[in-house]
Amino acid sequence: MKNGLRIIAVSVALCSSVAFGASNISAKKAIDGANAAYKQVAKETSYQWTVTASAIKAAKKAFDKGNFSEAEGLAAKAMKLVAATKLQAKIESETWQMRVPK
Amino acid sequence: MTIGDKAMKTIIQYLAFGLLGLSLSAATIAGPEEDRKAFQNFYENRFPDTPVNDFQNGVYSILPSAREQWQSIEEFPPYELSVEAGEKLFHSKFVNGKSLADCFGSNGAVREKYPHWDKARGMVVTMERAINECRVANAERPYRLKKGKIADVSAYMSFNSRGQKVNVVIPSDDARALAAYEDGKEHFYTKRGQLNFACADCHMYTAGALYRADTTSPGFGHATSWPVFRSKWQEMGTLHRRFGGCHKNIRATPYKAQGSEYSNLEYFVSYMSNGLEFNGPAARK
Ligand code: HEC
Repeated sequence: MKNGLRIIAVSVALCSSVAFGASNISAKKAIDGANAAYKQVAKETSYQWTVTASAIKAAKKAFDKGNFSEAEGLAAKAMKLVAATKLQAKIESETWQMRVPK
Repeated sequence: MTIGDKAMKTIIQYLAFGLLGLSLSAATIAGPEEDRKAFQNFYENRFPDTPVNDFQNGVYSILPSAREQWQSIEEFPPYELSVEAGEKLFHSKFVNGKSLADCFGSNGAVREKYPHWDKARGMVVTMERAINECRVANAERPYRLKKGKIADVSAYMSFNSRGQKVNVVIPSDDARALAAYEDGKEHFYTKRGQLNFACADCHMYTAGALYRADTTSPGFGHATSWPVFRSKWQEMGTLHRRFGGCHKNIRATPYKAQGSEYSNLEYFVSYMSNGLEFNGPAARK
């Protein structure tokens, strides 16, 4: 039983170190990607969310402190927010006319 | 089954006519003047107790409980100092010996001319932009855009313009003017920011509802009373500053003051208020 628990603990630790095995290279790539995607959507749609900019900023800060896993996580969050912004812009461009009183 | 030439022709004619009919009716529905009537009707039906001319007073036009306090504030208006500062700036001489009065007349009572479409440059010109352009044309530095001196000068000019009517024109001989109006219109009705709100959600369909501690004003009348002294700011601010504040509240990144987004938005919002009086500057919560 004890051994079983130890195995689980070790494998969880292993898994997470794989999942969050961020290096300065992968974290930098994630941040640059999020930043570029954020700017691209802003340019194409003029839609921009403050929370996305904050997440990118926080990711850079974590990166500078050497917390690469945290930085990569924040960049991934920013990427999701960019995707949501893009979706919002698409839905709105197709539906906003409904809100105009006739 | 095959379709004969004649039948095909009829179908094509029918389709063409149908499409033409559609585009014609779309054009008649979507014209700015029809937009404006439908917009104003919306608010008049929604707030039947508000006299039309009173929509220029923002949220106080629909919120009797706050109105009394506001009126007592307006008796000793907090923007008075700003009007005085604006008067000094307006008449003080540039290095070249001229002043803002050379651009805007002896008392700057030109509020009714703004915002307007500048055909030569293909853009909307707001009064604040015009103030800065006058300075730059006379080799002075432009003011910062959201508060401070720009708001003071604007307050002085608006004060002297009180009673002028909002009369925004969208010239029909320049398609870019209509495009700028449409851009502002789309902005007003599209949801933005992480909280997914449109201006119209708060200032049209739920106007009068509480958002955190504030009741939202009707969008009809939004452009009439600027600049304002806001208790929350403890100072004056321009309309574009307010636009930016509303955007931040819904977690949308604000656009640049006096950039094309907010200028086009002002163009649309002002056009919607055509017929109301300019009554700025004003006091707000
Ligand atoms: C989540 C709701 C919400 C959204 C969305 C929103 N606003 Fe506001 N807005 C407010 C509240 C609350 C106030 C302060 C009370 C009031 O309406 O005067 C305000 C104030 C204003 C005022 C000042 C009115 C006055 O007479 O002082 C203007 C102008 C304005 N908003 C324009 C806009 C525009 C344009 C948009 C879209 C870009 C927008 N708002 C989006 C909630 C909102």
